[in-house]
Amino acid sequence: MPERKESLEQLVLTRVMRLNATIHGLVFGLVAGLALFIATNWLILKGGPIGPEGEPIIGPNLWLLSQFFYGYSVTFVGSLIGFAYAFAVGFVAGFLIAQIYNWIVDFREYRARRSA
Amino acid sequence: MQEEKQHVIPSTMNRNGDQQVVIIGGGPAGLTAAYELITRHNIRPVVFEKLDKVGGIARTENYKGYYFDMGGHRFFTKSKEVQRFWKEVMGDDFLRRPRLSRIFYNDKFFHYPLKPFNALMGLGLYESVLIMASYIRWQIFPYRQEETFEQWVTNRFGKRLFLTFFKTYTEKVWGISTSELKAEWAAQRIKNLSLKSAIVSMFVKPNTKITTLIEEFDYPRRGPGMMWNAVKEAVERRGGSVQLNSDVVGIHRQGNRITAVEVACNGYRQVVPGDSFISSMPVTEFIRYLDPPPPKPVLDAAHRLKYRDFLTVCLVVNKKELFPDNWIYIHDPRVKVGRIQNFKNWSPEMVPDQSKTSLGLEYFCNEGDELWTMADEDLIELGKQEIERIGLAKYEDVEDGSVFRVPKSYPVYDSEYKEHLETIKEYLATLENFQTIGRNGLHRYNNQDHAMLTGMLAVRNLMLGESNNLWVVNAEQEYHEEIAEDVEADPEVVTEVVKEALAHIFTRLDPLAFGLALGLILGLAVFAATALLLLRGGPVVGPHLQLLSNFFIGYSVTWPGALIGLLYGVVVGFVFGGLFAYLRNTAMFLHMAYIQRRSELNLLRSLFDYI
Ligand SMILES: Cc1cc2nc3c(=O)[nH]c(=O)nc-3n(C[C@H](O)[C@H](O)[C@H](O)COP(=O)(O)OP(=O)(O)OC[C@H]3O[C@@H](n4cnc5c(N)ncnc54)[C@H](O)[C@@H]3O)c2cc1C
Repeated sequence: MPERKESLEQLVLTRVMRLNATIHGLVFGLVAGLALFIATNWLILKGGPIGPEGEPIIGPNLWLLSQFFYGYSVTFVGSLIGFAYAFAVGFVAGFLIAQIYNWIVDFREYRARRSA
Repeated sequence: MQEEKQHVIPSTMNRNGDQQVVIIGGGPAGLTAAYELITRHNIRPVVFEKLDKVGGIARTENYKGYYFDMGGHRFFTKSKEVQRFWKEVMGDDFLRRPRLSRIFYNDKFFHYPLKPFNALMGLGLYESVLIMASYIRWQIFPYRQEETFEQWVTNRFGKRLFLTFFKTYTEKVWGISTSELKAEWAAQRIKNLSLKSAIVSMFVKPNTKITTLIEEFDYPRRGPGMMWNAVKEAVERRGGSVQLNSDVVGIHRQGNRITAVEVACNGYRQVVPGDSFISSMPVTEFIRYLDPPPPKPVLDAAHRLKYRDFLTVCLVVNKKELFPDNWIYIHDPRVKVGRIQNFKNWSPEMVPDQSKTSLGLEYFCNEGDELWTMADEDLIELGKQEIERIGLAKYEDVEDGSVFRVPKSYPVYDSEYKEHLETIKEYLATLENFQTIGRNGLHRYNNQDHAMLTGMLAVRNLMLGESNNLWVVNAEQEYHEEIAEDVEADPEVVTEVVKEALAHIFTRLDPLAFGLALGLILGLAVFAATALLLLRGGPVVGPHLQLLSNFFIGYSVTWPGALIGLLYGVVVGFVFGGLFAYLRNTAMFLHMAYIQRRSELNLLRSLFDYI
């Protein structure tokens, strides 16, 4: 008889997924970039209370991001800069999560195979 | 035994200087091969058919002007080639017919394919409650092993529904108890289809065209025999030869070549030489007729392939109308009849006198068993009694009848057949000038269209030097297949590919690995943010990041705080990442199980369409 093939359930339960690091990075980057871009512009559109100097105070908390993202501000140009920063950070984070995940899975499978 | 003369007849083709192609069997596969050879390649073949008419299992018998279709043959195909062929041959004689088929059980009719609501309504409130209870019971405590058909269906539908709609008919068709019938034959067929429809249903909307195929079909005005007679005439008109009453009883072989066939006809034996041979006779008989015989393991394998047979008791009933169905499945265990065809509902021209109705009572049996060997008069008597017992017609309204037997109508897919078929396949592949085609030639549940495709492809192999694999022209895709190609891949291979694809989509995300990866990155992010602020310095360093200490007790925007933040990040990331992966895996697995089960149930509802 031909060898028994694994059932779908077995395959699904025993196989472990590998992540594509680049795709993961891109998706994380895009989500982070877009989130910051939208958040910034949303605050701009909403406006803010008028400050002591007669200027509206827009998104004072989001401004704090400029501590990490030099050059970022809650302005339209800032939203573009923010997009770039957040995309970069998101990409790196996403890429690394996937890459590290794959390494760990490889390592665990390698150990399991050796002990089998 | 009658003394038989033997001589070599000169071949038609040698006279013309073409190559001599000998075709065994005048069923759909053999006749299609002949038609293609002559119309496309101008090669005039000779076809030997052992019966007195063409059409094989898809033949139409004629009794006193009443046409009886052996089995009831719906014409439908996804193959453009086959559709073209049918149209070319039949022209306007092809009717589009609506389908109605029901199950007769407990003196009631149920729609077939099963419609859950209709089924429960028909069974009544009390029975429906019991069925639901049984369904729930078997969902909670299923059979641990699904080795038999009974276990397999029970685990999906519950025991009570199994007993109602699956047991009796399946046992009639296969002649063995459902507790002995291996789950494999249904499981395999349904799995192939359900996996594919499962994956497809994930990405595309249900194919409504498929439903129409199930609801209507094409049919020649006077049954499938009309089609195959027309093909025979077309072949003969162009100079080919279709010889009836010509039983091939020997196959001469020299090494790896077939040299001639021995044909018994009207008490004579002829040896007909040829250059190429295409056979649609049962592959088991072909192997047995080889002279010199093939190696013993091949003979043994041929010996072990099994068939199921059936006979039709044809009755003429003196009633204009009996019931609206094309056919009815008889699940009633009180009678032996398995299915009843109402030929007038297939096409009015099947009946010469419109004030009468003709029925075909199909009895599934084994060649040589009690039913098979029963005298025709006794079978007609049995038919009359049974039709009265189930109340479809009155005994005294039946005014005439006849019996037709169809041997080897179903190749049996038992637990061993694949192994044996493999042995046979390997041997046949060594024969240079021979191809086996058709339903029994390939021991496959081929419908007409796929049997025909194997004939067409054999001709292409022969004339164009192509190397189409006839063993993988698929039998199982008529109703549901979404892969709209003429020649479909081996169901086994497709299933494996689809399984791989599904497995790929649904594979587990390793919770530990994902947790660790996320934890590391989150930890590093907290560390990096803290470090950055520390490096920038200022009168008050990172007052806002400091707020994190509300959650990460002990954290601060200091260098030791950065390390504590790193640790916190790792722990929190690990917990959330692991939980996310775990929940995602569970949800994916449940979703997969759900779509697979749903498509299995859908296909089970129309299981008998595949028999
Ligand atoms: C009950 C039932 C219902 C069916 N319903 C449908 C349907 O609805 N739609 C559909 O498309 N298909 C249906 N089919 C399938 C269809 O009948 C077959 O696919 C088709 O007939 C196969 O054609 P074939 O040429 O491969 O084989 P066959 O029809 O078996 O033809 C083989 C021919 O070879 C001849 N032969 C055998 N041995 C020899 C010999 N030694 N010498 C000379 N001649 C020989 C036989 O007499 C026969 O004529 C049904 C089948 C059954 C049993």
